[in-house]
Amino acid sequence: MSSVDVMQETGAKTRAPRQRRLTVARALNEAIHQEMATDSSVVVLGEDVAKIGGVWSTTVGLLDAFGPARVRDTPISESGFIGAAVGMAAVGLRPVVELMFVDFVGVCMNSIYSLAAKQRFFSGGQVTCPMVLMTSVGGGYSDGGQHSQTLYATFGHLPGLKVVVPSNAYDAKGLLASAIRDDDPVVFMFHKGVQGLGWLGTVPRAATHVPEEAYLVPLGKAAVTREGSDVTLVGLGLTVHHAIDAADQLQKEGISCEIIDLRSIAPLDQETIRASVRKTGRLVAVDDDYMSYGIGGEVIASVCEDASITLKATPRRLSFPDIPIPFSPVLEQGVLPNSEKLVALARQAVLEK
Amino acid sequence: MTDVAIPDDLWDDDSEGSISSWFFSNGDQVNEGDLIAEIMNEKVASELLAPASGALEILVPAEEPIRKGQIVAKIAG
Amino acid sequence: MQPSQAPHGNLHHRLWMYEAMVKSRELESRIKTIYFEGKTPVFNMAKGPIPGEMHLSMGQEPCAVGVCAHLRPTDFVTATHRPHHVAVAKGVDLRKMAAEIFGKKTGLSRGLGGHMHLFDAAVNFSCSGIIGEGIAPAVGAAMAARIQGRDDVAVSFMGEGATNQGQFHEALNLAALWKAPVVFIIEDNAYGISVCKAESTSVASNADRAAAYGIPGVFVPGNDPDAIHAAAGEAIARARAGDGPTLIELETHRLEGHFVGDTVEYRPVEERERLAELDPIQLFRSRLIGDGHEASELDALDAEAVRLADDAISFARNSEYPALEEAFAHVFG
Repeated sequence: MSSVDVMQETGAKTRAPRQRRLTVARALNEAIHQEMATDSSVVVLGEDVAKIGGVWSTTVGLLDAFGPARVRDTPISESGFIGAAVGMAAVGLRPVVELMFVDFVGVCMNSIYSLAAKQRFFSGGQVTCPMVLMTSVGGGYSDGGQHSQTLYATFGHLPGLKVVVPSNAYDAKGLLASAIRDDDPVVFMFHKGVQGLGWLGTVPRAATHVPEEAYLVPLGKAAVTREGSDVTLVGLGLTVHHAIDAADQLQKEGISCEIIDLRSIAPLDQETIRASVRKTGRLVAVDDDYMSYGIGGEVIASVCEDASITLKATPRRLSFPDIPIPFSPVLEQGVLPNSEKLVALARQAVLEK
Repeated sequence: MTDVAIPDDLWDDDSEGSISSWFFSNGDQVNEGDLIAEIMNEKVASELLAPASGALEILVPAEEPIRKGQIVAKIAG
Repeated sequence: MQPSQAPHGNLHHRLWMYEAMVKSRELESRIKTIYFEGKTPVFNMAKGPIPGEMHLSMGQEPCAVGVCAHLRPTDFVTATHRPHHVAVAKGVDLRKMAAEIFGKKTGLSRGLGGHMHLFDAAVNFSCSGIIGEGIAPAVGAAMAARIQGRDDVAVSFMGEGATNQGQFHEALNLAALWKAPVVFIIEDNAYGISVCKAESTSVASNADRAAAYGIPGVFVPGNDPDAIHAAAGEAIARARAGDGPTLIELETHRLEGHFVGDTVEYRPVEERERLAELDPIQLFRSRLIGDGHEASELDALDAEAVRLADDAISFARNSEYPALEEAFAHVFG
């Protein structure tokens, strides 16, 4: 079942019985539980993941279910424990490591982009790195410049890493299960704004129906969240919801939007993006990472370099500006991408002759 | 008809909490023991499980203040 | 150091320490109350006049005042995500600090930084939100003082959790190698969010780690301003004299949770209940009275601290938010 069916069905009046909604946090938790139950090589480590189940509630109950050898609280030693996870992965474990905030990656970047990303390559395929680096991203709740970044492009840019970002609970569970089963290192970025934590504010729409059994959502594949004909909106994580809000508004103005949920930054599903823009002829990409050298630019480039696509309008990108994230709420909210800004850009695109 | 109430002793003081998420919609079939909602009081999340099987009728939407002991839903079955 | 250079001036340093602790506590009590405005009954961190995270230092005040009593405005201090007590003791402008926490344009950083990124260049104070991030900069600032011919020192405040971060080890080695005039202060409050020290640290005492770098390591138990003052005084004098760095491990107590809203379920109940008896300000007050100070003298210091805290909060409340252009104004020069 694709995420478009799921997100629309949840709002529909008639539905199958046993439509069970979960928050993204619970969906992630369920995926880890199920994978750990069926594969004894899956282990979990990170700060505060064991006793309190993670500050983002991703690892609740795992310590009780699987014990301290497989579920470990670590010291504040990201370079150490992520490096250790790479070593675990090299000899047959499947570590799921949590980096509490993606912003902390500065202290452990080497373990990720030098070791994890390149282990298979440097060994000519002998040694793999079936590790998942799970990390929280995103701001919008006044946590300041060192606790609010997304850094999508930073990870997408470095070869050897698969990078995924779910926008809803259904995709979150399936993507995490796929990530754990994947033999390559996967950076699993969960956006705090859709996580579904009551104390953080969330997007209710992100809590979708989640089947109780284990299932997989493939890495490297985008989803068509909504079909449309006039303009393609491309988002990921939280910005998919901006796109849905924008599309609902534009529908009232007679503009039909097609929404693409990237789900995967690396590999990027260029085919799905291109097929959509080939149809609509107009593109607005929206993400909440820094603009320059970013997601929006990559999406636009992948469309522009396809000679079979005829554009009816200049492609546009809506991103976070090239500034550190300011603390004061009036500033942060003022510069963040949102559905109003997206509506304005989509209108501009449609009005171009 | 079974009442679904917030347990009287779910948190220590007399502060208000709220339902942060309903995991089923009005009219949905729930089974006894299903996780039907998440309750927040200050920063602590608790689970609300269905006390019976049947069709769920939601009385209090998410993010509205609730008190301990308050009936927030009914299950017809 | 001449009295005119010391922060306490002509006030006896013990009274200065007492007042600074009370000032920090009064400010934080108000911040804690205001933090909950807009966040009940639904606790949404993003709401209210003080949104975001809030890490209070209640209980750790002795660490700040015992050390900063020896510091000049030109001495360089770095602190952590739990900075208020150190900022107050270092002489950071209270009004601008409060305004920054409220995200107002009159704040230290015009609202750009927030509570974890307080900078006051006038007194060489800064803090940051990444664990361990301030340790090496303190070493650098200390070396700069030598290069520039000043006898200023640097102090890096950190939690016990930071000692397991790579930068701690690199910075200590550098400081030892270069004989940097720096003092490393570990505020050991026993918990890194939910993980207690015994579960994260391979040695029982971080002061012992100093030996690995060939520098003196001192452990000061008891969260006692006088004992901290004595140990810090020695270390800072040593640094100023050109005899190099010192590591000081201070036993202290975090009276609140890691952040405001933390229910501290991970901490045993007996531990939590004992905390109220360990309030260092009450204990120090009792000791000062026992040593012959009049209660009325301390009451007057309390009243002044309350006045300053109220004034700072009121300044913050009444200040305006920054204009949007401010967000783009300080990326480059």
